[in-house]
Amino acid sequence: MAEKRRSGGGTVMPDSKSVKSESDKEFLSQAGVGVLLRDALLKLVEARSEDPIGFLAEHFSNLASESESGPVGGGGGDGGEPQENTVEEQQQLSRALWHLSLAHHSQRSAFNNNIRLAYDLLTQCGSIQRVPGGVQGRIYTEMLQCLCSEGGLSGTTAAPLLRRIRCHDYEAVPFELFRQGVQTCTAFADYIRKSQCLYAAVASRPERPAERSLCRAVLATLEEALDTSHGADSARFLEASAKISPAKLAQAMADVRGAGEQQEGPTMDAREFEDAAAALFIARVRVVI
Amino acid sequence: MTGNPVDCTVKSTVALQIGDVVSDSFRPGVYITDVVFGEPVNIQEISFKNSYTAFLTVRVLRKEAGSEDGSTKWVTCVRNHCLMANPHTEEGSQDYFSIYRQQMLTQPDNVTTVRLIQRQPSSVWLNFNIEEIKIYPLVHEDSERDVPSWLSTITPVEEPLDLNGLPDPDEVSSSIQQMWALTEIMQSSQTSASIGRFDVDGSYDINLLSYT
Repeated sequence: MAEKRRSGGGTVMPDSKSVKSESDKEFLSQAGVGVLLRDALLKLVEARSEDPIGFLAEHFSNLASESESGPVGGGGGDGGEPQENTVEEQQQLSRALWHLSLAHHSQRSAFNNNIRLAYDLLTQCGSIQRVPGGVQGRIYTEMLQCLCSEGGLSGTTAAPLLRRIRCHDYEAVPFELFRQGVQTCTAFADYIRKSQCLYAAVASRPERPAERSLCRAVLATLEEALDTSHGADSARFLEASAKISPAKLAQAMADVRGAGEQQEGPTMDAREFEDAAAALFIARVRVVI
Repeated sequence: MTGNPVDCTVKSTVALQIGDVVSDSFRPGVYITDVVFGEPVNIQEISFKNSYTAFLTVRVLRKEAGSEDGSTKWVTCVRNHCLMANPHTEEGSQDYFSIYRQQMLTQPDNVTTVRLIQRQPSSVWLNFNIEEIKIYPLVHEDSERDVPSWLSTITPVEEPLDLNGLPDPDEVSSSIQQMWALTEIMQSSQTSASIGRFDVDGSYDINLLSYT
């Protein structure tokens, strides 16, 4: 009896299961979910964020808003209200910034891909007059400001850099310039962080500021290394790295210390050190013309 | 390593013959070629192309060191150097040869003239000669390349520096290296892309302006 029932149950179940599985597979392939999930997982692996669930949530919400604003965005371009456009603009901007935050600038190919995505996003958005040939200058400048603040730079630190690379509102920014600007801002954010570490190392005592002469000596070696300009790249790198080796730095610092006594001389605070270091970087940024 | 040959004048070959050169029909067996320099040379190498010469003797006219100008002396550097193993056969008859400083009997320094004495005892060949004579001077090895100044300062100083109270140079160096690298990255990503802010469109072309 039990066997009969079991076999009866056994014969019924595979049928319904196979029917179900076919429709399952069909359903998944029709919706294109496989591709969707694969893309999401690839992006997650690329970004390697600490909060995978939050990352996936943002990714899918971005996708959803993109797909729904796609057909709408074309209609809103001509004769739409300025308010709507600004909101849409802000959305596009935040989406572009999210893309740019996925990969660090040292992961070259991933970073370049993200820049491309952000550029495409930003060329589509804009106010009523869409600028052909690139991203609108106003949006570009705003994006750079957001990048700098996201990178932890204060307004005053980033201001000299932005003055060099900003664009006027009416100008169209081509892709090469866009990429260059983004790379410069991200590299600058890292640079300022490193300069803060450097100040902490030179100060060597967290509660007191660093000695001015030591700071000056350290910044002078960096400037000297940056100034090696002649020769082929490999020769230049070798020469510059010889100038900033630990031995050379120890020598420079000992020379400065040897000149004075062990007593406290004038000090330099963190703000001034950061500004001096930033000046070295910004002086080598090409002005946009 | 041999560098460039020295500029020299090769005088026309003189035949050593008994009797009158013009009337006698005997072919000479010895030819002499002189090579003269503008200023004294230290010879590293003599290279030439042989043309049926069997034996070669090289004599140099050397300025004597330590004596006043004008005092010169002939010395033999290479005596009866064999160019053709068998003077009657072809072997070595058209080869290129080099005679080096190390093969010579005396040091060919401060040389003003080189005399090449060619002998061909065989009567098989109508004529014999040596051609394309090049003389290379002695080059000092250390003057060839300059060592960059930074290379010589790489090895660390032996005496230990007084690092009392100074910040750790390794930490400082690593931060500076990263800052330098970031600046280099930024500089290398700079392209010549421009927005064309100051570009002027074609209607202000100089040629067109001149017609107004």
